[in-house]
Amino acid sequence: MARYAMVMDTRRCVGCHSCTVACRVHNELPLDMIYNPVVTVGPTGVFPNVRMTNLPLICMHCDNSPCVDACPTGASQQRPDGIVFVEEKKCISCKACVMACPYGARVPNHEKGTIQKCNFCMDRVDEGKLPHCVKTCHQKARIFGDMDDPTSEVYKLVNNGYPVRLLGELNTEPYVFYIVDSEVKL
Amino acid sequence: MSKNIDLQQEGIQVKKSACYFCHQNCGVLAYVKDGKVLDIEGDPDFPTNQGGLCCRGNIAMDHLDHPARVNFPLKRVGERGAGQWQEISWDQALTEIAEKLANIRDEFGAEAVATAGGTQRTDDWARRRFMNLFGSPNGFHNSHLCWIPTFMVETAIYGWCPFDLDLGSSRCLVLWGQNPGVSGMPEIHHIMELKEKGLKLIVIDPRYSETAAKADMWLPIRPGSDLALALAWLHVIIYEGLFDPEFTDEWCVGFGELAEHVADFSPEWAAPLTWLTEEQIRESAIMYASNKPGNIQWGTSIDQIGKPAGAAMHARALLRAITGNLDVPGSDLLTGPSLEYVTDEEMEANDQLPEEQKAKQIGSDKFKMVTWPGYSRIAELTKEVWGKAPTAEWMCEAHPPSVFRAILTEKPYPVKALLVSATNPINSYGETKLTLAALKAVEFMVTCEYWLTPTAMLSDYVLPIAGALERPTITSSYGCADFLLASQRAIQPMYERRNDYNFWRDLGVKLGQKEMWPWETVEDAYFAKIEPLGYGVESYDEFVENHRFHFPEREYQKYKRIGFATPSRKVELYSSTLEALGYPPLPPYIGPAENETDDPEIAAEYPFVLTTGGGHMPYHHSEHFQIKTLRFLSHEPYMSMNPAAAAKLSIEEGDWVWIETKRGRIKQKANLTQAIDPRVIFTPRGWWYPERDMRDPELGGCLESNTNILTSCDDDDCDPMSGSWANRGLLCKVYKVTAENEKEAK
Repeated sequence: MARYAMVMDTRRCVGCHSCTVACRVHNELPLDMIYNPVVTVGPTGVFPNVRMTNLPLICMHCDNSPCVDACPTGASQQRPDGIVFVEEKKCISCKACVMACPYGARVPNHEKGTIQKCNFCMDRVDEGKLPHCVKTCHQKARIFGDMDDPTSEVYKLVNNGYPVRLLGELNTEPYVFYIVDSEVKL
Repeated sequence: MSKNIDLQQEGIQVKKSACYFCHQNCGVLAYVKDGKVLDIEGDPDFPTNQGGLCCRGNIAMDHLDHPARVNFPLKRVGERGAGQWQEISWDQALTEIAEKLANIRDEFGAEAVATAGGTQRTDDWARRRFMNLFGSPNGFHNSHLCWIPTFMVETAIYGWCPFDLDLGSSRCLVLWGQNPGVSGMPEIHHIMELKEKGLKLIVIDPRYSETAAKADMWLPIRPGSDLALALAWLHVIIYEGLFDPEFTDEWCVGFGELAEHVADFSPEWAAPLTWLTEEQIRESAIMYASNKPGNIQWGTSIDQIGKPAGAAMHARALLRAITGNLDVPGSDLLTGPSLEYVTDEEMEANDQLPEEQKAKQIGSDKFKMVTWPGYSRIAELTKEVWGKAPTAEWMCEAHPPSVFRAILTEKPYPVKALLVSATNPINSYGETKLTLAALKAVEFMVTCEYWLTPTAMLSDYVLPIAGALERPTITSSYGCADFLLASQRAIQPMYERRNDYNFWRDLGVKLGQKEMWPWETVEDAYFAKIEPLGYGVESYDEFVENHRFHFPEREYQKYKRIGFATPSRKVELYSSTLEALGYPPLPPYIGPAENETDDPEIAAEYPFVLTTGGGHMPYHHSEHFQIKTLRFLSHEPYMSMNPAAAAKLSIEEGDWVWIETKRGRIKQKANLTQAIDPRVIFTPRGWWYPERDMRDPELGGCLESNTNILTSCDDDDCDPMSGSWANRGLLCKVYKVTAENEKEAK
């Protein structure tokens, strides 16, 4: 069984927003919806002693996913391979998941009257393709793969590097990992 | 575009197309069925982008059939700028335009017809061919700001411009005012990959840019003071013994003169001019000179500093030479022109323009480097040594501000017609008030465009041009590389759109040039270019489908075989070519276009140093403001200033502020950031508002936030060699927008 994960190498990310645009275009999202914003932290410090880090955000596809727990209708689900998704026809847009998600990953679609979120482009993943945000990234700052496969790049990065999980103290066990320069505090 | 499109369905063809939203020309795969594009993605097999696409690349489908695109030839029926158009046929448009141009030529001479271009989005060898056959020397682009003066100055020193970096084995890369983190995504990708393997990265930029944030050393230089830094680097490298004695002895002339010339340009001298510390200057020079092989990547920043630009290009070029970082593995390579395929220059028919017409090129009496006087001399040398010349389009052009002044003053002679292609000069050329006055005054104007830009709105005819997916593309660094990358059109142009090639060719045919245009389509012309490569293909498309690239085997140190393309066949540190043209043979120090030492009275009123024109995602020059999927990322124009400076002026984040120079003022929003020196202001380029009233005088708000209101095209602020005007290193003031001051006319 696979366990899909993404690693964000913030040392490579330049904050170009290509991932955000590619996701919006290919997932046909209305203008007020974004699944994967890139947040620029900084420049912090005082000129000229400054630092800047770009943080690509996305659904963390948590193992302990509070959004799935919060959903009263069973619309929010997690596949055995870890992908968290919304079955739209079951969604009543009660926004319980929006409140529950500590990462702000869930977005109302006002055109459809449902809550939507990144599902790692699961249709593509099932065809053996990469999610659009990964495919389009010039910098290879987003790395996607299977954590159950010890030969995969994500496995190696997570196990050999020093990646961090955002809000790790909440024990949601996110499967999106961040590689950051040691001097950067998130 | 849609996740719901089945790309496995029967009848889908995959076309090897290219993105055309900047001139990286990233490879794109287009999925086409029944003449329609269903979807696109980055081509994973393309060597530069390797499957990646930036924001702009991702909106190709939006761009292809955007409701605001110009789809039919338009003829003005109301007043200029009133926005009243009649749709007509191409044949009618070309017939009428040809007739008007012929009349102007009869009455005022061929030189009364000029043409304005933008960045490389077009087949401009065809534009040049048309102009040469028509008889006018007055074609131009805003390429003066974009690498072309650099190309020509560097070619004067060592016989070609070393724009091809052999980065793989390099140990140190200098990005001089370049920010590939927003302007060249394939470049920053390769740079970051190599950096992980130990490449040292030096970024020289007044701003802590996306790229500076990744640097080993960031030099936040005073805008426009690049020349002082380059001279001080020369001083350090020579006087600390870091130069390459073998290369300078054997392959350079004038090393002694140079050493003497830079004796006083010490880091101590340069520190107050550049706002860097002596240590920063010394350490960065040492980092570049002692991590060999190293590179100074091609770029356009120095082209934009006006008065000191030519000398700064010259000084920077010398850095490569004295360190021996030229044409050796890992360094900056002198590819020379391709001897294997037909180059752009060979397609231009430059021999068809009579000498007496060349002599009439506007601006060539003042600025000789990128006009016929300098180009002829350099072309002669490169032909002797390399066998071919650089492209004349771009490298040999009329001086744009001087043409605009000629329109207004009829001096040195009247200019009556302007053919505009792939540019919106109101937003992209310097000193907007001059440009706009000229565009309104010119008797006849035709614009080839995707959109009804402010410039198109003032035209007599607007012609609909084929975009990225509707045209083939050959990428060969302005026709000056020895390699090429070839892409095909995904579909035939939609509606009545045509390639820009067909505008020039078909107009030429109407004007009696038919026998000089044997290639009916652009593919026919491209096939003529690539046929000598000997791939045995029957058509251009077959070349794209089966080969796509041509990379010749790399030969290092070609100078050992053929010498450098200079009169002495060596690197001329002391340049005889510049001297013969009447320019200093060694780079003198010249202060920034406006500065507190030379212009104390200006500095008293305008206390900040202004830098403009840097690229910013998701736009390219003045494009893409209509595309909502991009606009949401940067909805309004934001200038940058330091919070400490803002506090003194009671300016808060997000306030609308006026930025004002001697030439006028614009309104942008304040972004308070520690990325910039408290003495510096940065304004992004290009802004206009396609959602506003596009009719004159509003013209899409093209004056409101347009940085070029601030820039200077005064002859005295221009580089004496190339005439490039000043976008950077100017003086400005900033103050809050209020209800009262908004009413004041400025």
